[in-house]
Amino acid sequence: MNQVNDRSRDIGEFVPRPDDDMVICRCEEVTKGEIRKAVHEGMWTVTEVRRYLRTGMGLCQGQTCGKLVKGIIASELGIPQSELEPATSRVPMRPIEMKVFAKEAKEADGNG
Amino acid sequence: MKRYDLIVVGAGPSGLSAAVEAAKRGMRVVVFDENEKPGGQLFKQIHKFFGSKEHKARIRGFRIGQQLLKEASDVGVTVILSATVIGMYQDKELVVRIGDEIHHVKGDSILIATGASENMVPFEGWTLPGVIGAGAAQTMINLHGILPGKRVLMLGTGNVGLVVSFQLLQCGCEMAALVDAAPKIGGYGVHASKLARTGVPFYLSHTIKKVEGTDHVTGVTIAQVDSKYQFIPGTEKHFDVDTVCVAVGLSPMSQLLKMAGCKMVDDPKKGGQVPVCDERGQTSIPGVFAAGDVAGIEEASSAMIEGRMAGVAAAEYLGFMEEAACSREEDELTKDLDCLRQGMFAPKNKGKKIDKTEEGIPLSNTLLTKGYLADDEVEAFPGFTHRVGVHPVIECTQNIPCNPCQDVCPKECISIGDNLTALPVVVENAACIDCGMCVASCSGQAIFLVDEDKGDGTAEVTIPYEFLPLPEKGTEGYALGRDGRKLCPATVSRVRTAKAFDSTNLLSMRVPREFAMKARFFKSGNAADAAGEVAG
Amino acid sequence: MAQRIALHPILGVPEKGRPVKFTFDGKTLEGYEGEPIAVALKANGVMVHRYTKKGHQPRGIFCAIGRCTDCVMVVDGEPNIRTCITPLKEGMKVETQYGVSPLPFEEQGCPSGKKGDGDETV
Repeated sequence: MNQVNDRSRDIGEFVPRPDDDMVICRCEEVTKGEIRKAVHEGMWTVTEVRRYLRTGMGLCQGQTCGKLVKGIIASELGIPQSELEPATSRVPMRPIEMKVFAKEAKEADGNG
Repeated sequence: MKRYDLIVVGAGPSGLSAAVEAAKRGMRVVVFDENEKPGGQLFKQIHKFFGSKEHKARIRGFRIGQQLLKEASDVGVTVILSATVIGMYQDKELVVRIGDEIHHVKGDSILIATGASENMVPFEGWTLPGVIGAGAAQTMINLHGILPGKRVLMLGTGNVGLVVSFQLLQCGCEMAALVDAAPKIGGYGVHASKLARTGVPFYLSHTIKKVEGTDHVTGVTIAQVDSKYQFIPGTEKHFDVDTVCVAVGLSPMSQLLKMAGCKMVDDPKKGGQVPVCDERGQTSIPGVFAAGDVAGIEEASSAMIEGRMAGVAAAEYLGFMEEAACSREEDELTKDLDCLRQGMFAPKNKGKKIDKTEEGIPLSNTLLTKGYLADDEVEAFPGFTHRVGVHPVIECTQNIPCNPCQDVCPKECISIGDNLTALPVVVENAACIDCGMCVASCSGQAIFLVDEDKGDGTAEVTIPYEFLPLPEKGTEGYALGRDGRKLCPATVSRVRTAKAFDSTNLLSMRVPREFAMKARFFKSGNAADAAGEVAG
Repeated sequence: MAQRIALHPILGVPEKGRPVKFTFDGKTLEGYEGEPIAVALKANGVMVHRYTKKGHQPRGIFCAIGRCTDCVMVVDGEPNIRTCITPLKEGMKVETQYGVSPLPFEEQGCPSGKKGDGDETV
């Protein structure tokens, strides 16, 4: 079992730090402290933190913060970053208006 | 649903190269790119590339981009721009946004060549307008002709940080400093030296503590860090700047491959999450290929070769060429690629501690920490020689795969040999004719022509010069040393421009004889006013 | 005010479209057709493109290639337009984006920005 799945492991209490106010996810304005706290509240994977705090769920879809969030979670858990799965990649890869997303191009063969 | 033999995602160096190879073999190829213009980052790269002739060395990136586009259109590659691939599904189906519509397309083979995105590092104030990625600076100046600011601090001394800093200087910005938390400069020493000799200071083992300003950047405070990257109190330094540029590495933009179910691996030497690929770039899904930065961060030169390899492999995969012919081509390309992957900056050497050159010469510590070769260190290198009459002085001190200097010299004064990473040697008794091709062709701007004794107490030093305004013959000013300090009065004795120099001007200056081997940059103005000060 | 490059030592004279007028928060400004809106704004000294929803913090150009979405503004009435990759057209109406609206926060009924902490309920 890797260390992420071993939820019985004691990672200690949340300890506040001076840079906790720093915004990490620029789109959803999630701070470093919030991410660290989330880990202590049981969110041990990038996906869990994402669902819990919306990191990487804003307009840019984690382009900027993906690696940073992963690094913060890993360091809070005391494990190497490579042990954490990155966030799931999903359609759409770029911001897109729903009206466009829903508009399939008409093709000659009708198999749009 | 439209169907193609090969769909390429990304019209950068690797994507276009692959498309060319595939189309040449009769495949129906389409390239999608989300940008308005093709070429990826090539059109922002205005420096001359390293490598050898096969790698388009000494050609500027944007010109390589132009060549590649022409090649693609000659063989009938269709490039669809402003076309964003927003998803990749099983059975090689892609979802593409073109205009205000969604298109589904299917490729019998697919190449993902989406490149990389910039890494970021958070610090107090990093969200303020005026804090930008180095790529943003490059985009603004080289594509859109606008300065990102007046005075800039660069965080990061990898090749991107160094190259973009030089570009900022070239277009008229002031560089306040280059800062890196690492104890050593990450990029090529020659790139650092181009900056240092103009007077730009380097602060290694330093990082940004705070960016100041209420609604845009007005200043930045840096501080020294210890070996655990913790700030050392009392080491703060403040700079008045309006722009802070961040160049702290790149990450492969591999989400599409992950989404499609390709086997991925986290490889720090390749910059992060990359697909597991065979030697031809095929991922764990047969017929799905990856090339360029998305498969591992490297230079554009290697991306182009990887692209060609993937294009050839896709042709073989779909039966557009025989396995034997494919193997032959792949072997050739592998050789070219291997050449580029040598030397102290090779991916395999990432993170390794190297303190000597291949020749056994100790590396310059000043170069690694301050960006320039100290006067006593440079003497140890084989390109640095004293001769009677004009001769090249080559201040190339790290093993980088590059040999234009050897190629262009009509008199064979410079020798590197067959090993591309060897340091250039000035050949004994060869007759330099002062043509200047070596000075103009050195992608690292590390070659100077020096006549140590003009017979009147002066020496003539010829330097590469890529700034505006270009000083005229007779301009009075002062010479700067490798460290960017004002050394002595200097007068411009000649200015040469030529098509073969490709916008690198050769500026010759007369300096007192004792400064022949020290004077490495020129600024106009009154030397007496500010003798001894740090220039810039 | 940011300076346009008149002559570049390597690239020469930058290629530009014809001059066009557009408005920024009601003021008429000039830029070149086809260049990114963000570049035209920068040339006119505009640094702040939007204020964030939670913290009301200023944001501007960050990546300049359409990835980071920090430079989004309200363009011709539509919010969240990436100004760094959207070409400028004659007569465009460009507005500072507050949250996702062109209305300043006071007019949206949320005068003070709270820094994004303490939001523990989901």
